[in-house]
Amino acid sequence: MAHPESLDRLVRRVAAQVRRRRAEHHALRGAFWASLPAVVVIALKGPIGPRAVAIAIGLVVAGALAGAVWGLLKRTSQADAARLADRAFGLDDRVTTALEWAERSDRTSLVDGLVADATARVSALPSRTIVRRIMPREARFLPVPVLAVIALALAPAVPLPSGRLPDFTPGGEEEEKEARSGSGVLEQRSPREARDKLRPPSFEEREFSARSGAAAASTAGDLSAVFKDTSLASQRPDFNSFLKKGDDRLKLLEQVDRLPDLASDFTSSQYKMVFKKSKALAGGMNPKDISPKKLKELLEEMERLGRKGGNWSGEVGEGMEALEGGHSDKAMEAMQKALDKMRAQEDAQRSGKGLRGGRDNERGSGRERGRGDGGGAEDQDFGDAEGLLPGKGRSPSPKGEASRRLQASPYDVGVEGESRRGRKDGYDTNMTGRGGQMGSRLQYLGVIGQYRKLMEDAITRESVPRDYHSQIKDYFQALDER
Amino acid sequence: MTQDARVQEFVTAFEGLRAEVEKVIVGHREIINHVLVGMFAGGHVLLEGVPGLGKTLLVKTLSECLELSFARIQFTPDLMPADIIGTNMIVEDAEGRKHFQFQPGPIFAHVVLADEINRATPKTQSALLEGMQESSVTVGGASRPLPAPFFVLATQNPIEMEGTYPLPEAQLDRFLLKLRVRYPAIEELNAIIDRTTHSRPVTVERVMTGAKVLAFRELIREVPVAAHVRDFASGIVMATHPQAADAPEVSRRFVRYGASPRGAQALILGGKVRALSEGRYNVSVDDVKALAAPALRHRVILNFEGEAEGVDVDNLVTQIIESVEATTARAKEPFLR
Repeated sequence: MAHPESLDRLVRRVAAQVRRRRAEHHALRGAFWASLPAVVVIALKGPIGPRAVAIAIGLVVAGALAGAVWGLLKRTSQADAARLADRAFGLDDRVTTALEWAERSDRTSLVDGLVADATARVSALPSRTIVRRIMPREARFLPVPVLAVIALALAPAVPLPSGRLPDFTPGGEEEEKEARSGSGVLEQRSPREARDKLRPPSFEEREFSARSGAAAASTAGDLSAVFKDTSLASQRPDFNSFLKKGDDRLKLLEQVDRLPDLASDFTSSQYKMVFKKSKALAGGMNPKDISPKKLKELLEEMERLGRKGGNWSGEVGEGMEALEGGHSDKAMEAMQKALDKMRAQEDAQRSGKGLRGGRDNERGSGRERGRGDGGGAEDQDFGDAEGLLPGKGRSPSPKGEASRRLQASPYDVGVEGESRRGRKDGYDTNMTGRGGQMGSRLQYLGVIGQYRKLMEDAITRESVPRDYHSQIKDYFQALDER
Repeated sequence: MTQDARVQEFVTAFEGLRAEVEKVIVGHREIINHVLVGMFAGGHVLLEGVPGLGKTLLVKTLSECLELSFARIQFTPDLMPADIIGTNMIVEDAEGRKHFQFQPGPIFAHVVLADEINRATPKTQSALLEGMQESSVTVGGASRPLPAPFFVLATQNPIEMEGTYPLPEAQLDRFLLKLRVRYPAIEELNAIIDRTTHSRPVTVERVMTGAKVLAFRELIREVPVAAHVRDFASGIVMATHPQAADAPEVSRRFVRYGASPRGAQALILGGKVRALSEGRYNVSVDDVKALAAPALRHRVILNFEGEAEGVDVDNLVTQIIESVEATTARAKEPFLR
């Protein structure tokens, strides 16, 4: 059964409308995508010249045309067009069914009636556009590149980068002018000079002035103050090695034990002071490179300290002799031995053994020299005050003479007291009974002073957290106030 | 007679039959249309509604409008299958010889009203299965055909669930359409009062014979269906299956079992009747959409979540249709091809 002409005509008409809408749809898409390179072309109108505008317009038009052609070439099936017609004209799928069943061999008796019915209805339809326009998503953004093209076309040409970074130094502009004014001058220069000129400033190696420890003035926040007594102070920073292996300064910062504690008072310890100076003197240098003058000064200081009771005078003498003979390495060895002895002596003084009276030769010798014979209350030197400590009196007993108070019956002794308000609340106590009438051998301020010194040494030498330092000092301060 | 004349005759007969029923039944135009669709499509119809809405009256009126035998079975819990199908009884002939004789049950009628079908036990309900599907019953090893046309109209009450036996899925699937009888509007209620409270009862005429019904059934099957309409019906049925690859979210979430192929048959057959009743020679997408809810609401089984959330199957079917329509519209959009 042949298709009725009216149905075919309707389908062709609808298909043509679909193609036209497709052409519009794809033309807009093509125009959008072509406008993007057009923007680039307009942006480069400087080097391209006046042809850039024409090229950009041509690109947009070509894109739109290509899209339109693509839309026109796309095929619209008869069934799709028929269905569109059914939907648009409210034909309840009559056209689609009629066209589909008219070609079938197994068509039923009702198909003829269907075709006739559909034909009659289609013939009565008005001719109108039924395919709606579908705007592509790109159409919404099309004004952006189009406006960009117009703006760039009206604006002056964008200068291209010259390959040389701008020189913002005061003389940079003059040099640039000079380079522009005489191109022949540049050719006359040596190739190396020209290359140096073109090298970007950021790649130039910075010239650092050598900083010696004494000469360089350190400012607040300047880490060089930390290194001023070390061999690193005179070294020149090498950024390459800094980047590759890490700066020696940073490595030194990681070694906490080698860092000087600027907050602590090193004069409180002879050994530490001398040890610090010796380390600063050596500082990782070859003994032969050490300044003999400074080494001699250090040895003389050690000798002076040794005269106060040290037993390192022999080593210091050896060092002086070696230094006079020009053997710095031997002098350093002798100094190291003297340092070891100095440390051993100081350790002995600060250790618990040092508190035991009557055993230490040092203390014995001290007594022979007439020091430590009772001592005044204000004498806070540990050695001098030894005899005042419990069990450290001048007694044949290893633990010193016992306090008389201890001989009293404990039942005769009582304690009474009252609370005291002040900056720090406390409790004042007094002995009562027979024992309370006996005087103590210990002088309060003297004992406190000795323990205060022990505390300061412990803070300096032991690993007491820094946050506790002020707390401990406040405690002893409070004891002093009593 | 030309095809046009046959179609026109059907349209006239359909409208005449509807008009006769509407003499008694007030309102419920869509219900009456769908009952007639079911009858001309050769299927059976399940009417669901609260008591007093005229379900039984509708079926009785329809049977009175047709020159067909009518049987009413009041389903009760003690009803037995033999009470429906019939049984062999010992009878004595004139010569005194005894033999078994089949006594047909009420199912052997053209129009069977299964009133309150969910009050009988599943065993008795199942007695209708063979008859509804194959238009025959087997009793005592002998298969006995049912009269043609055979049309079952069943009613059930959705709220009185005490002492009821919900129809099994197999039984439900036998019904071409399931119609929900709504409460009448006030104008309809006023009309009901006027018609039923005066002394002169309304009488209806028999406007159609069984032969005509069968002839129209033949004609209906000749209505052509376009491929895209058939695809639309298949798409709807497939979309009711939660396991389907392109099933919509509502199906995946709330549906336990989707519609069977009988659902697709119901959509197309019903669409054909609807199209022809409007004087149209082809099935349209709108026909399928109009019949989707009656044809699928009893074939889509909700899962626990759907039951717990009180999902209405009609709404579910509507959402499925929208989903399929959207998918089809996108796929058929000429610009996107």
